[in-house]
Amino acid sequence: MAETPLFSQLASVNPALSARLKESAAFLAAPAATRLSEEQRALILGIARRLVGSVAGLLGGAVDVRALWDDWAVQGLPGAAPVSSLCFARAEEHRWRNQPVRDVGETVPPRVIAADAAIDVPVAAGSPPTAIDRAYLALQIADRRRFDALGHPRIAIEDLDLDLLRAMLLDIAAWALVRAGKDSAEAARLGEAVRGALAQHRPDRGIDRAAADYHAALATAGTLADSAAAAIARHDWPGFVALAAATHEYRYDAMALALITAEPAQLAPMLAPLVRDQAALVTLEGSLAMLPGRAVASAAPDDYTAALQARAALFGEAEGAA
Amino acid sequence: MMAERVIRGRIDRSGIFVSGDAPLLRLQQRAGGGEGRPLALPNLARLVALAQRLQREISRPLIAADDHSDIHALVRIMPDAEGATLEISDWRMGPVMQSQIPPVTEIAAVSPRAWMWESDGQLRLIALTAGAEAEPVPAEWEGRSLSELFELQPDGDGHFAVLRALARQARFAGQRVRTDDGKGGRMVMTLAAEPLFDAAGGFTGFRGTALPDDAPQPAPAPAALTDPAFGSLPLSDPAFGRRIDGALRGPLARIIATAETISGQFDGPIRADYARYAGDIAHAGRHLLGLVDDLADLQNIERPGFKAARDEIDLGDLARRAVGLLGMKAEEKGIRIDAPPIDDKMPATGEFRRVLQVLLNLLGNAIRYSPADSMIWIRLDRDGDHAMVTVADQGQGIDADQQAVVFEKFERLGRTDSGGSGLGLYIARRLARAMDGDLTVDSAPGQGARFTLSLPARD
Repeated sequence: MAETPLFSQLASVNPALSARLKESAAFLAAPAATRLSEEQRALILGIARRLVGSVAGLLGGAVDVRALWDDWAVQGLPGAAPVSSLCFARAEEHRWRNQPVRDVGETVPPRVIAADAAIDVPVAAGSPPTAIDRAYLALQIADRRRFDALGHPRIAIEDLDLDLLRAMLLDIAAWALVRAGKDSAEAARLGEAVRGALAQHRPDRGIDRAAADYHAALATAGTLADSAAAAIARHDWPGFVALAAATHEYRYDAMALALITAEPAQLAPMLAPLVRDQAALVTLEGSLAMLPGRAVASAAPDDYTAALQARAALFGEAEGAA
Repeated sequence: MMAERVIRGRIDRSGIFVSGDAPLLRLQQRAGGGEGRPLALPNLARLVALAQRLQREISRPLIAADDHSDIHALVRIMPDAEGATLEISDWRMGPVMQSQIPPVTEIAAVSPRAWMWESDGQLRLIALTAGAEAEPVPAEWEGRSLSELFELQPDGDGHFAVLRALARQARFAGQRVRTDDGKGGRMVMTLAAEPLFDAAGGFTGFRGTALPDDAPQPAPAPAALTDPAFGSLPLSDPAFGRRIDGALRGPLARIIATAETISGQFDGPIRADYARYAGDIAHAGRHLLGLVDDLADLQNIERPGFKAARDEIDLGDLARRAVGLLGMKAEEKGIRIDAPPIDDKMPATGEFRRVLQVLLNLLGNAIRYSPADSMIWIRLDRDGDHAMVTVADQGQGIDADQQAVVFEKFERLGRTDSGGSGLGLYIARRLARAMDGDLTVDSAPGQGARFTLSLPARD
């Protein structure tokens, strides 16, 4: 059906109307499709804003981050697709981890100490930490880099792929250069800042390396499966995702998203051989099931195009037969 | 002015939410429903189904999960031929259980000069970030011990708040420390933090703030309490109380809801004895939930500085509400309640929900300990500047010795049934006194008991 010319004319001079019409068309193309909730949108936007701010900060404070974000919030983020995938994965992981713990198992009672008892606390542990202990500490540190000072989720620079970091640095530098009036000295300075930031990139401090080290330490000790089951029982999702990711040599964020979007029946094969304990799987499945608005395959509408093609093929055959 | 407000809603015969006041509609929408769609609050839907099946009005406490809090309320469901009308009162918000990502402390939000930190269970730092206007955090802090990075200063008694908190796995505040200021000098800061626990209840560390001493300081956290009855048990520690409360309430609510579903045969008929067993489970669950409520209340009202609100209330209205809530329970035993007539008013000052709580306790006890087919009276009276409401029953009565101890903690006068925790009257009297009133008993063996709640009268 042809679009009414008047609508096209109106939209051509009104970007807001154009956007609404596109959104409306996308909605009508698949009315039953589940869409991002307001919470998901807010999380994704917040994570993207913090990421842009962090990357811009690598350029030595020469970039007005607020103006940059204001511009990009209106015009759209350059290279939005890879950034949005990362932000979406981080947002979904945050929603999962941010759920109240409702299905607690056997509760460990806290230590009971008399009010007037002498308290002797070993501040510096007597025995040196084990390799597992050190690796888990490093994993926790890498994980906490994925939150800002106020506890909001973010993507740590250390976890960014080098190519994506380079692309973002160049986009931000280009924006700053245009804003500064394409000054050649400024261009040289920004170029140097980009090179410096890339040279200082430390993926070895990121969560993927920490996950691999933790996995290796547990594998050496032969306690991988037990530790995975214990992490599930404690709802220590970063610890568990790290182990699952390292087992399959996935990125941490990809593994988290794979878990969050898995159908219940997919969990057991996905996590073999790491998780063999059915009770642990049930706990994991229960926690995931509590998360509303997950992008599991069964939540998607039927593939209408495929259905039409299948029906056309069927009818074609029937007509041919007639 | 009275704090009470009634929220109304309408459900049709097939369980569709037809209409409702804004708070109820919002809750329905956040639960994934809306107007013209099935009632999306499972606990409420079950109660509505029950009321419709019985074709009787029922009143029950309601707990519904909202996004960031739990809603606690009293719901009255009035079924009719076309569906049911809901009246929800005493709508309160309560905190939900701790999520896996602890919220940052309030100091972090109000003081941009603070550092935010998190440690593991051995006080090793796993996060250290600076607020928007804070000094930069020291380099190479990763994994170092808190006491290595911050030189701990003892308090006036030679104690270290953080170490005591570590031993008790409790919150702390006011721990003075010295640390590098990043400019070659030293600065004095104050640490405060909340303990963190995993889903299995294991202590995982602290999350808190470090605030320079020249920045505005927040109000000190209340000190941990020591309860004479519980001695040094951590029940006197608010953090422990919250954890126990949170850890028990969810599973118990689920047990009760599931047992009620089975007992009510909402999903189809089952054998009568199985339905009865499920009813027993629900009963036991409610008893345990009541005990959790009592313990939470106990901890709350024994907090130093506990004050009840001073609402303008009508004891007559509250007495009738209590009768409405417990009337069905009385009816089950054939007990008739003689409540104050609708135009009988007794203006007083007290906290609306607390007074209702006291009256529910008194009336609940009267129903529990009255013989079948007996009578309970509720009378209003005024004595000088005190307004009074008296609940009188025809039970076995309480002798003089028992009257002396009936308001003691955990006193059940030798009863061993599953009726109560032995905290209800103790809490009720504490509440009455916190509202500048009192709760007294007058009884003789074989002549029933008369409990009188008095509160400051209002003209």
